[in-house]
Amino acid sequence: MTGSTQPLLLIEDSDEDFAAFERILRKASITNTIYRCVDGDEALDFLHHKGQYSNSKAPRPGIILLDLNLPGTDGREVLEQIKQDNELKMIPVVVFTTSSNPKDIEVCYRYGVNGYIIKPIDVKKLMRTIQVLIDYWFEAVILPNSVRG
Amino acid sequence: MSQSEDRIIVQTVNLTAYDKEFLHLSGAIQPHGILFALKEPQLEIIQVSNNTFELLGFHPQALLNQSLKDLLTPTELLFIEGCLVKDFESVNPIKLSIDMSNNIKNFDGILHRCNGVLILELEPKLTQEDRNFIRFYHLVKGAIAKLQNAPTMSGMCQDITQEVQNLTGFDRVMIYQFDGKQAGKVIAEEKREDLNSYLGLHYPASDIPDQAKKLYTRNRLRLIPDINSQPKELVPAQNPITNEPLDLSYAVLRSVSPCHLEYLRNMGVTASMSISLNKDKKLWGLIACHHYSPKYVSYEVRTACEFLGQVMSLELAAKEENENLDYKIKLKSIQAQFIEAMPLTENFMDGLVKDKDNLLQLVAAQGVAICANGDLSIAGETPSKSDIYNLIEWVEAKIDNDIFYTDCLPRLYPTAEKFKDVASGLIVLSISQTQKNYVLWFRPEVIQTVNWGGDPYSSVELSPRKSFELWQETVRSQSLPWKQCEIDAIIELRSAIVGIVLRKADELARINIELARSNSELDAFAYIASHDLKEPLRGIHNYSNFLIEDYADVLQAEGVSKLQTLVRLTQRMEDLINSLLHFSRLGRVELTLQKTDLNELVNSVIDILNISLKETEVDIRLPRPLPSVYCDPVQISEVFSNLISNAIKYNNKPNKLVEVGFLDTALNKPEYIVFYVKDNGIGIKEKHFDAIFRIFKRLHPLNKYGGGTGAGLTIAKKIVERHNGEIWVKSAYGEGSTFYFTLPSVRVSQ
Repeated sequence: MTGSTQPLLLIEDSDEDFAAFERILRKASITNTIYRCVDGDEALDFLHHKGQYSNSKAPRPGIILLDLNLPGTDGREVLEQIKQDNELKMIPVVVFTTSSNPKDIEVCYRYGVNGYIIKPIDVKKLMRTIQVLIDYWFEAVILPNSVRG
Repeated sequence: MSQSEDRIIVQTVNLTAYDKEFLHLSGAIQPHGILFALKEPQLEIIQVSNNTFELLGFHPQALLNQSLKDLLTPTELLFIEGCLVKDFESVNPIKLSIDMSNNIKNFDGILHRCNGVLILELEPKLTQEDRNFIRFYHLVKGAIAKLQNAPTMSGMCQDITQEVQNLTGFDRVMIYQFDGKQAGKVIAEEKREDLNSYLGLHYPASDIPDQAKKLYTRNRLRLIPDINSQPKELVPAQNPITNEPLDLSYAVLRSVSPCHLEYLRNMGVTASMSISLNKDKKLWGLIACHHYSPKYVSYEVRTACEFLGQVMSLELAAKEENENLDYKIKLKSIQAQFIEAMPLTENFMDGLVKDKDNLLQLVAAQGVAICANGDLSIAGETPSKSDIYNLIEWVEAKIDNDIFYTDCLPRLYPTAEKFKDVASGLIVLSISQTQKNYVLWFRPEVIQTVNWGGDPYSSVELSPRKSFELWQETVRSQSLPWKQCEIDAIIELRSAIVGIVLRKADELARINIELARSNSELDAFAYIASHDLKEPLRGIHNYSNFLIEDYADVLQAEGVSKLQTLVRLTQRMEDLINSLLHFSRLGRVELTLQKTDLNELVNSVIDILNISLKETEVDIRLPRPLPSVYCDPVQISEVFSNLISNAIKYNNKPNKLVEVGFLDTALNKPEYIVFYVKDNGIGIKEKHFDAIFRIFKRLHPLNKYGGGTGAGLTIAKKIVERHNGEIWVKSAYGEGSTFYFTLPSVRVSQ
């Protein structure tokens, strides 16, 4: 059983980018629940069940898509915290960002990121990229908590 | 020297024999006084000179083993016994009178101890001089005032020769000064008018052997009243206490060595007196007095002369200091000029090169060579450049504490014999051995710079001339010695240079840190800017697309076409942002320079282009194989790719021709190769030759010639310039263009 039913957490501050992402997922008939956090602090609260998520049952996402340049707590820091947390570190994190800075790429892999994707501007390219991402993580790959004993 | 003695044949003294003589163990004294060796406390006479009968009326044998007490009055005895517990310096001379068969004879007595033996020397008082302090004071008072007031060293020397001549009446009084190698020079002279002058003559070190010099340092005054007098032996020859000859080092009557007698005889001198001049406990020189007939000088006058010598010795340091003061001030001002000029030059060595005159003056050298990173620049009289290179190679290992100096280079480095006329003296200052930064100063052979002291060939005075010639032999391949203040000036200059260099290095380090910081800020800025620009751009792009997808029917063809334009513009905008980012990154990336075969490089560029050029007719030629260069292959690929694709792009001919080649090396810049990319395209008007290299500068509308962003040539220019090269274009409008650029054929620092 793959992770095709597991929720997806998208940490993205740009509404336009989020809208485009959602639209592409819809067009690709992807049915996974999508949670969105608009900044790093919210994302960490969501994952740690704190702040506004302290009472709700925020599900544990099967995969996290992370934008790097976030207001407040920056994406690099969010990644670092996730990868230092014994539980959360199992969740695959794919950075999905505009930044092509080699330093960012290096730092993210150093923290243990599972993939680094540069957002293309061209909408066709963007569709293709998202499709590949979903196919890979939800179809081809076995995610950690998708095998129930 | 008088004319009558001009036929004296000079024999070269066997100097080594002279040096080996034990002058102080001669076992004899000059005959003008008596010497007693006494055993304390009984003052028993254990040795006595063999002339007591002539001067005292007692045979030596009769005196031996007697006590001196038997010869003296109780008062004198008491006085002597009192002296024995005092410092002899303060009691000499003692006035003794000895009763010789009812004839009272007065003596000057001089006491000293040597190796446990008490030695008493008596000299008969020839005149009834009234010995008192007042007279002595009068003798020396005026002289001392003169000495101290003399403004210069040479003035003082001249004064003292006059004073000593006044006091003693010697025919000739000279000041000898020893140089660092103990050779001497006559620096002042007072003489009888009819005598020839020795002023300015040099003589070799061997004229006054080390043995004699030692005795001069111990005994401040030495009198030889008559060289023709017979020395008197001591009886017995061995001292019964030590069973050795008596040590006469401090005896004023000590007999004269045969060599010295011969030396004086050769000069025609009959009597001589010398007074030691010491500076810093070393023998600095002598006051030498010559007389051409026998001459005795009373103990009192001798003491006055000795005293003058001591005063002069004390004055020497101050006078020499003064003598050098003006010189030192001059050196300081030269130093200051360098220190001022250096920080203004990019490379501190340039500061030295620019001011070679001052560099020569800094150490009174005739030639100077500056070796900066192995490049030589010379001024004045120097060996040839290739000789200097070899010399540097030889000297590098010998530099100690950043300096090496010698005034007889050919003796240490035989190769220098052939250029000794310009470089017998050498100072090498190392500023940095690793970078081969040296300054070399040269001085010519001293023979060519010496003051001859008159024409050496016209003289009839054989001996001093002979000495002078001999001295000349000893100073072949030597330069004038380097003064300590000159060496000091150089060492100070070096510290100043090092200070400047270190300060510059500090500044550079600070600037580098600053630069690194601003660079990383800029780096981040470029990425952030591109990121922040792209995000809204993507929004516009996506939303335009969504509109086209969702509302095409509402918008109709015209609206859709406008939205498509919007999409195209966003793509173009992205290209521009990417080009800008790429361009701003170019200067940041470290160049990885390596020897690169350009044939492979250009061919792979052509292969990649061909993939995208399938439909166009292009003929790309390399007329001859390209050379290898030192470059960053990734970046140079980009240059060729840009130029070749431009050659194809801006071309409306049916058969597009591109030629990639290089020119034959220019003579003035052999380390650079000029490459070219030539096309038969549309060409460029001359007024645009510079403009095309400006970023985003386009000559054509976007819809023609497959419009690019206008950054390609700017990027090419930047890459070439980072390789220390240049890029330019020549073109005949409408017929084609040729782009030229240079690349280093050898490794050059960036």
